[in-house]
Amino acid sequence: MGSQITLTMSLIMIGLFSIAIIGFAVGFASDNDAVMSITDDAELSTFYTNTKTNLSTTKSNSEGTYASIIDTTVEPGSDVAQSAGPFAVSVSNVVSVGKNVIFLPYQKIFGSGSGFGIFFTIFGAVILFLFALYLYKTLRGNP
Amino acid sequence: MVFLAYLYELPNATSGADAILSETTNVFPAFVPLILFFVFGVVFLGGIARQRVRTGTADYSAWAIIASIATLLPALLFSVSAGYIRLDWLIIVVSMNLLSAVWFFLDRKISEV
Repeated sequence: MGSQITLTMSLIMIGLFSIAIIGFAVGFASDNDAVMSITDDAELSTFYTNTKTNLSTTKSNSEGTYASIIDTTVEPGSDVAQSAGPFAVSVSNVVSVGKNVIFLPYQKIFGSGSGFGIFFTIFGAVILFLFALYLYKTLRGNP
Repeated sequence: MVFLAYLYELPNATSGADAILSETTNVFPAFVPLILFFVFGVVFLGGIARQRVRTGTADYSAWAIIASIATLLPALLFSVSAGYIRLDWLIIVVSMNLLSAVWFFLDRKISEV
């Protein structure tokens, strides 16, 4: 997946794309007096609002981080920064964007029933098995 | 003269060309979703096939997001009038866009985003 910067950028871009595509669909529906509008769906509207909130939180946190980096003072004679606080922002703030984005399509396509939950549990188990197999082969060679 | 036996009444287009679409949808409700699936499949598979021929590799996630957007546009057009597309299908198309975006952006390197 790469570095923290890559992950942060990806999550932010996912959130921005979601807002753009849903905003376009909502705007299209209202401009053309569409009979079917995706704002008729309560969950999607909630998701739209949540993602906007996530991104605006990220924006204000980024501004705070930038300000704190600019305002950092290093005392003469000290070679270490006093705190790593300015660099602790980013991924933790935008992970909720990823969760929201993944949860809505999952719920809309697969529903809230348990059928696909079973499927994904088994699929995850297979992935885990493969992962364990790779680990084993890396450590011990081919059995 | 022998008339052919049609499966359903032929649409009457005197009230407008869109009557053909709406009457076909009335008889066969899966008509519009199949059109959307066709658009997605043509763009996704066609793009992958051509890119593989031209460059040797194919960018699956990029073609998935392009095909999703290409599907969203006719889906929005179908949503303007009643009877073509249900809200469920429209939301599934939007959801496909979001899933493609997740795949696409997590697949990129920082220099490519």
